[in-house]
Amino acid sequence: MKVVKKIFSSKSIVTLAWIIGIMLIWEIAALYIEQIKRTPENVLPHISQIIESIFSDKMVSNNQTALQIVLVNAKDTLLRAGTGFIIGMACGFILALIMELSGIVEKMIFPYLMALQMIPILGMAPIVLAITHDISTSRIVIAAILTFYPVATNTLAGFKAVEREKRELMYSYSASRFDIYIKTLIPSCIPYFFTGLKISAPMAITASILVDTLQGDGGLGCMLSQSLKHAMSIYVFWQIVIFSAVVGILSFYLMGIIEKIVSPHYHKKKAKAGE
Amino acid sequence: MKKTKKLLAILMGITMMFAMLTACGEKEESSNFDAEATAEEIVVKAAEAGMVGNWGLGNEYEVQALLTKYDQPTTYLSQAFDMDGFDDDSIMLASAMTYNELGLVKNSYDGAYDYGDSVAYIDMNDEGVAMLEDNLFTTKAFAEANPNTVKAFIAASMKGWKYACENPEEAAQIVYNYGSSVSSEHQSYMAAEVKKLVETDMDGNTVSDYGNIDEAAIKQTLELAQQYIKLDDATAADKLSSMAIDDIMDSSYFTAASSGDFGTPEKTSVSVQLKWLPQAQFMGYYVALDKGYYEEVGFEEVKIIPGGGDIGETTAVNNGTVDFGVTWVSNLISANAGGMDLVEVAQVFQRSGLVLVYKLD
Amino acid sequence: MINKNTSVKSSLIKNSRLIGKIANILLPLMLGVVILILWQTEILHKIFNTDVFTLPLPSRIINIIMDNQAKIVLNIQATVMVSVFGLILGSLLGYLIALIATIFPKWGAGGLTIVSAFNAIPIVALAPVITNWTKDVSKDAEIRSMVAKIIVVMIICTAAMSINAYRGLTELKPFSLDLMKSYASDNKSIFLKLRLPNSLPYVFTALRVSVPASVIAALVSEYFAEYIIGVGRQIRENIVLAQYSTAWAYIMIACFIGILMYVILLIAENIMLKNR
Repeated sequence: MKVVKKIFSSKSIVTLAWIIGIMLIWEIAALYIEQIKRTPENVLPHISQIIESIFSDKMVSNNQTALQIVLVNAKDTLLRAGTGFIIGMACGFILALIMELSGIVEKMIFPYLMALQMIPILGMAPIVLAITHDISTSRIVIAAILTFYPVATNTLAGFKAVEREKRELMYSYSASRFDIYIKTLIPSCIPYFFTGLKISAPMAITASILVDTLQGDGGLGCMLSQSLKHAMSIYVFWQIVIFSAVVGILSFYLMGIIEKIVSPHYHKKKAKAGE
Repeated sequence: MKKTKKLLAILMGITMMFAMLTACGEKEESSNFDAEATAEEIVVKAAEAGMVGNWGLGNEYEVQALLTKYDQPTTYLSQAFDMDGFDDDSIMLASAMTYNELGLVKNSYDGAYDYGDSVAYIDMNDEGVAMLEDNLFTTKAFAEANPNTVKAFIAASMKGWKYACENPEEAAQIVYNYGSSVSSEHQSYMAAEVKKLVETDMDGNTVSDYGNIDEAAIKQTLELAQQYIKLDDATAADKLSSMAIDDIMDSSYFTAASSGDFGTPEKTSVSVQLKWLPQAQFMGYYVALDKGYYEEVGFEEVKIIPGGGDIGETTAVNNGTVDFGVTWVSNLISANAGGMDLVEVAQVFQRSGLVLVYKLD
Repeated sequence: MINKNTSVKSSLIKNSRLIGKIANILLPLMLGVVILILWQTEILHKIFNTDVFTLPLPSRIINIIMDNQAKIVLNIQATVMVSVFGLILGSLLGYLIALIATIFPKWGAGGLTIVSAFNAIPIVALAPVITNWTKDVSKDAEIRSMVAKIIVVMIICTAAMSINAYRGLTELKPFSLDLMKSYASDNKSIFLKLRLPNSLPYVFTALRVSVPASVIAALVSEYFAEYIIGVGRQIRENIVLAQYSTAWAYIMIACFIGILMYVILLIAENIMLKNR
C-alpha cells in the first residue's frame, strides 16, 4: 500500500516531467526548423512564441486578441461537444444494453453501427441538415454520432467479459434477470464503459471542432481553418491546437475522476491486484 | 537495470526525432524564373517539373485550360489554403486570388510572406482562359415564386457594391466591424483589389453597370467548364455537355432591378450565404446591410451567412436553408449538372481574379 | 483453475459457433436488404425528409460505380494502403507504449495520458501541419503526401491501442500474478504466459475502435494531402461540386472498405481467441 501511495503522490511530478520532456523535444525541433525554413511559425513555432501570443494584447481581428478569439469560440465548441458527448454516451450505453439483451439485434445492427461511422461528415451533414433544418442541431447530432461508437463497443465488450461463473452463480441464487443486470452485469462493465468514455471524451471535442467547419459562423473549428488559411495570425491556430489538446487531456482525466467516484470498490480491487 | 532501460528508451526517442528532422534535405534546383520569361516558358517549365499548384475542388479549370493551351497535361498539385507550399518551393507556379493570396505573398503584415516585387504572376484574363467567379444566385423555384424579392435584393446589394467600390477603405472597415476573420490591413488591400474585379471586364474595359451579366463572358465560362469539368456520373455529364447559358442565368431580374421596376418583396426576411469567410471579397453585401439599403427596398431582415464550410453555398440554397448564395459560375454549372436547379441573377465580379504566381530570380 | 475455466468456455463456444456463424452473416444481410428496399423505393427519403438529390437512389449509385471501375480501384488502393499501414504502425506503437508503461508503471501512466492527448487534437488540425512537416521527405509529391497521411492515421490509432493494451497488460485476474510469483516465474515468463494472453482481448477491443477510425482518418487526411488521390478526396471533390450521386458512390465504397477491414478483424479475432 505504501508504494501505491507513493505513486499517487508523485504522479503529478511524473506528468510534469513528461510535459517538460515533450516541450524539450518541441524546442529542439523548433530550433532546427528555424534554421531551415523561411516562415518557421507556420511549421513549428517556439513555445515561447505561442505563450507570447497568448498574452499579447495585439488585436488579431474584429477587435479581439488571439486569446479572446480562442476563448469566445471555445465556449460554443465545448458546449456542443458536451451536449453531443452526453447524448452519444447515453445512446452508446443503451445500444450496448439492447445488444446484450438480444443477440439478434446485436448481430443485425452491429455492422451498421460501424458503417455509420464510415460515412464521412461531409456526406452525412447535408442529410442531417435536411432532417433538422438547423445547423446547430445538426452539429450536435453529428458530434453525438461520432462519439457513441467507442462507448457502445467497449460497454458491450464489458458485458461479454462478465465471467460465466458469476452469471451462473446469480442464476443459482435464482436471481431475476433484472437483478442479474443491476447487480452483476452493469457493475462489472463499468470499467469498460469508462474506457469507452475515456476514448470518446477527447473524440467529442475533436468531433465538435470538426463540425464547426460545416458553416463559417463561429466555433474553434472555423477559427482554426481561418487561421490556417492565413486569414489571421497563425498563432490563433497554434493556440487552438494546444487548447484542444489540453482540454482533451482534462476530459480524459475528468472521466478517470468520475470513474473513481462511481466505482470506488473496483479501484480498491485494482490497487490490490496491481501489487 | 531499470535505469539503463529508461535511458535507452529516451535516447531512442530522441534519435528517432532527429532522424525524422534530418530527412529534410536541401533543394538544389532553382525554382525561380527570369523576369523576361514568357508565360509559355514559365508554364511549360513548371508543368514539366510537376509543380503547378491549385486548390482543386472546382477552382482548377482555368489552370487546366492554361496548361492545355501550352500543350501540357492537366495534372496539378493540391495546394493548401495557405501559401506555405509556394514559400518553401514545393510549388513553383502557385494559384492565388489577386485580392487574397497574392496580397499575402507580396505584403508584409501579420501572416503574410513579404515577397514584395520579387514575385510576378500570370493573369488568366490576359491568357484568354478566364472564367467568371463571384455571382449572386438563387433557385429557379424561389425566383419564380418571389420575383420582387429577387429584384429588390439585387437592387439593394448592387447599390451596396457601388458604394463599396467608391469608398473601398470605408467598405473594408465596415466588413471588419461585421466580424471579419482577416486583419484590418489585409482587409483594406482586399477591398482595393476586389474593386478592380468588379469594375473591369475580362478585356480590361471599365464596367459601370454593377452586377451586369456579360453574356460573352458567361459563354466563355460555360465552354471552358464543359471542356474541363470531369464528371463520373454519366447522367450529370450528359446534362453538362448539353447545357446552354439560359440554363444557368436569367438577366431579367437584374434588368428590372437596375431600372427600379419592382414592387414590394414577397418575402421580407431573407438570407444570403457567401462562398467564403467574411471578408472584403463580399463587401457590397455588408455595406448594403450597414447603410440600410436593404430596408430601403422593403426588407425587414437580411442575414449574411459566412461560407467556407463543408455545407457549400449551392447545397444550402438548394435545400432552402438560405435564399441567396454567392458562388463561382463554374460551381453553379456543375451543381446544375448534378441535378440542382439554380439560376444566376447577377454577376458581381466581371473578370477572373485568379493568377498564377511565381518567384523571380 | 485457469485451465478448467478455458475448457468449459471453449466447449460452450464450439456448440454455438456454427449457428452463430450463419446468423452472423445472415442477420445483418437481411437488415441490409430491408434498408436497400426502403432506400430504392424512396420510403427512406420520406423518413429522413430528404430528396433523391441529397440521398441518391442505390440503382444510380451502382451505375456510377460500374461506369468508373478503373478510377475507383485506383482510389481504393491509395486509401486502403494509407489506412492499413497507419493502423499497423499506430497499433504497434500503441502496444509498445503500453508495454513500456507496464514495465515502468510510474513513468508509463503519465506518458499514456500524454499519448491519449493526441486523440484530442482534431484531424483537421493535424493533417495540414503534418503535411508541412513532411514536405522534405521526398521530392515526389505522391510519396510525401502518402507519408503524411500514414502518420495522421498512425497517431489516431496509437491512443486507442495504448489505453486498451495497458488495461490488458495490468488488469490481471485476481491472484494470478501472485500465483505466477509463487511459482518463482521471472518477468519474462510472467509477460509471455500471463500478461500477453491477458491483453489479447483488449487488443481486439482497441482494434474494433481503431479499424473504423483508421479508415475515417485516412479519408479526412486525404482532403488536405498534396497529391490528389483517394476515396476521401473524391467524396469531398464531388460534394463541393454538388455531385451527390458520385459522392455517395464513394461514400458507399468507403463504408465497404471499413466493413471489409472489420470483417477481416473479426475473423482474425476468432482465430486468435479460439483457444481461450
